[in-house]
Amino acid sequence: MTTGRKLALAGIVVVSVTGYMAYLGASSSWQYYLTAEECLAHAADLSHGRIRVCGTIATGSLRISQDHREASFALEAGAGQLAVTCTGLLPDNLAERIDVVVEGRLDEACVLRGEKVLTRCASKYKSRAAAGATPDAAPSGREIAT
Amino acid sequence: MTALGELCLLTAFVASGYAAFAGLAGRSGNHPVLRSGALWAAVCAALALAATVAVLTWALVARDFRFQYVADYSDNLLPWHYALSALWVGQAGSLLVWAWFLAVLSLAFRLWPGNAAGELREPAFGLLMAYLCFLVAVMVFGADPMLPSVAPPAKGSGLSPLLQHPVMLVHPPIIFLGYAAWSVPFALAVAALLTTRVAGAERRGCEMGTELPPDASGEGERRTATTRPHFATSERCPSRGGTREAITTSPCTDIRHTECAGYDRLDAAWAKAARPWALFAWVVLGSGILLGAQWAYEVLGWGGYWSWDPVENGSLVPWLTGTALIHCLMAWKCAGVLKRTALGLALATFGLCNFATFLTRSGIFGSLHEFSRSPIGWLFLALMLAIALGGIALMVWRRSMLVPQRRISSIGSREAMICLGVLALVLLAVAALAGTTAAPLSRILLGRTIVVGQPFYNNVLVPTGLCLLAAMAAVPLLRWNASPSLSQKRLLLVAASAAVLAGIGAFAAGVRHPIALAVAGLATLSLVAPLAVLVGQVFNLPDPNGKLETCPTAGLLARYRRQYAGFLIHCGFACLAVGVTGSSLGTQRHELTMTRGETVAWTGRSILYVDLIEHELPDKLVVHAQLEISQEGTKPYVLLPAQVLYRSQNTWGTEVAIHSTWSEDFYTILHAGEGRETVNLTLIASPMVRWMWLAGWIGAAGAVIGLWPNRRHTPASARSVGSNGPALQRPHWTRAPQHQDAAHD
Repeated sequence: MTTGRKLALAGIVVVSVTGYMAYLGASSSWQYYLTAEECLAHAADLSHGRIRVCGTIATGSLRISQDHREASFALEAGAGQLAVTCTGLLPDNLAERIDVVVEGRLDEACVLRGEKVLTRCASKYKSRAAAGATPDAAPSGREIAT
Repeated sequence: MTALGELCLLTAFVASGYAAFAGLAGRSGNHPVLRSGALWAAVCAALALAATVAVLTWALVARDFRFQYVADYSDNLLPWHYALSALWVGQAGSLLVWAWFLAVLSLAFRLWPGNAAGELREPAFGLLMAYLCFLVAVMVFGADPMLPSVAPPAKGSGLSPLLQHPVMLVHPPIIFLGYAAWSVPFALAVAALLTTRVAGAERRGCEMGTELPPDASGEGERRTATTRPHFATSERCPSRGGTREAITTSPCTDIRHTECAGYDRLDAAWAKAARPWALFAWVVLGSGILLGAQWAYEVLGWGGYWSWDPVENGSLVPWLTGTALIHCLMAWKCAGVLKRTALGLALATFGLCNFATFLTRSGIFGSLHEFSRSPIGWLFLALMLAIALGGIALMVWRRSMLVPQRRISSIGSREAMICLGVLALVLLAVAALAGTTAAPLSRILLGRTIVVGQPFYNNVLVPTGLCLLAAMAAVPLLRWNASPSLSQKRLLLVAASAAVLAGIGAFAAGVRHPIALAVAGLATLSLVAPLAVLVGQVFNLPDPNGKLETCPTAGLLARYRRQYAGFLIHCGFACLAVGVTGSSLGTQRHELTMTRGETVAWTGRSILYVDLIEHELPDKLVVHAQLEISQEGTKPYVLLPAQVLYRSQNTWGTEVAIHSTWSEDFYTILHAGEGRETVNLTLIASPMVRWMWLAGWIGAAGAVIGLWPNRRHTPASARSVGSNGPALQRPHWTRAPQHQDAAHD
């Protein structure tokens, strides 16, 4: 076997293994990423899998439990609203009128049962006006990723 | 002041446009006046951009809210150094800094006395100026940093608290400097493809012994590509002057000195010209990425450093292709292979830098980061597409010149291992790109946005990372254009034994995951292999029956400085692999609520919650939870994770507290609590994180050593590659000296 063929064979092995691993990873982790409006519009199709929904927390909708481990709020969805309940550690800066991404499942009553809430990271190229917490408010939990 | 800034920006636009025209036209027509005009116009553009940066900097430090940019990204409470960092936080400011870096680098490229670009210098400079003109045009027409406020506010919007961190003072500009630097290898590649002349012999490739046409100088001499049996030259220690015949006689082309060099512009000299810029861009962009990871780890308070978010992938992908490019350049220069791949990667890396800009500025990617949704992102996408299509067209057009000088001779040769490493890097880059673009592509093709999670990326990282680590570990003990010699095989066996022992040691220490064991072994191999090379060179290990001869270590390190710099970078990569593997596979998390005075035992630590402490500062209120940690075998220490109220933004944030050791980081996050009595905490034990930051320092040190220019007046004996002068000392069992020089020039 020539060197070129040996190298090609090694390359095929590496590509095949990587491709298979990528397939396994993708098939186990893919999710629909929807806006709250899209989630409401396609609610019937989304009840069986995990989804990721982004939206803005509607004014007057946020309720946080005393131990800061449960919250309910509504995401603005055009003319309507998508109800969300979350359990677990909540973001510190969870507040009304901020953008969040909720990962979870949609139940039959069209309520998004969130398992993870992420506030968007004010990163480069975009300033962010102050929102939400007041100076008197107690510190709240936050989970955020880059 | 805004008018002055606008004037400077417009001056830069006009000057860079003229410099681009004059640089390209002056080259094709050989007009010295145009060439000189291009240089002066570029100087003018750089000065104008520097003045624009100075105006915006002054406005930020003085909080001049008549500038819309200042009003958007600073306020009166912001410390001056973070006000300064706002220069590159916003879209317009970051473009300005990027353009300024590009202007300065372009001038450095044009004026650097050691620049090996030769005849490509002018057209490449023209292309760099064209790109500068594009960036400035984007600012002038789409993202003006000098835009005046319609109604200047009394106070600005302020800077996001998350960006008020020392790392953010350097991370963004370093990334932009890296992007700017990648434009130089691109410009060199396009210039070479555009201007190279094709002759009949080129279509046949530059084969050994091929008779070549007269060179461009018109001297009319007939030349022949040379074949020199490097390994047949005498070996001697430079400090001792002794000579000894090398046993290995593996004839190979001195790629650097093949007569092809004066024949077209896509020879090994091109690789030599591109290499320092590629290495500079690589280390700068890599440092920026690692600093970003460190910022995410220390500031964002989620216990991780990388989440495969589009903004992270955007900078990682060109870095991966750039890493592959550097190795292709080496293989091209030393073994005459991977020529097409190197040129393709030079084009792709630059295109991907623009794609990263599109990612962060188009607003079409679902991300946890908030991106601007301006149309300028689409300009960068258009540029990337133009680069991709134009690059493919150019490479097809010049395909006859891209025939490699040699074929890979052996699967056990150094270039074969580089080939495998390049494949792994490109695969990882393709996977990261595919995962990142899955969202918009699925929306276009399927009508719904689909995202892939971290398992996708991690699954790809495992085989590609291991392949890369294995190739990297073996490379120092292989030679160009030949299978390993007997001496090399023996040293490989010793290094492999050390790797196996390391794996056994890791197992004995409690490591059970097969990937972790594999990484422990391969990382050890990566560290041992360069040491084996050094030992081999110090003792000038002969093949069997040879005489043992020693050389001073310091002299060898100085003589083969660039080779060892490369090995040092490999050691840094091994540390990175250890850190990533340890922290990915061994991290433990624990979420708990503690009451005052309570002690909790976790991961061998005893954690006592003492009290909640408040600090009033002018711009923020800090609430610390005082934790006293004791652990067997270590001194007790105190951690103070905190919640911070940023008064200007009226928002709460987290300040994590980390106790870092070489074996493990203990990472604490304070969450919500009611009053002083109870606090909600997340505790994270993350092994080996510190090794990743160490990797950055090692890699940067290696790159600096590798980039350090040679002394101008090298003794004749050290420059005698291919000449009639005295032969050089070289480790005959690793590779030919000419190749070592070529590889690290």
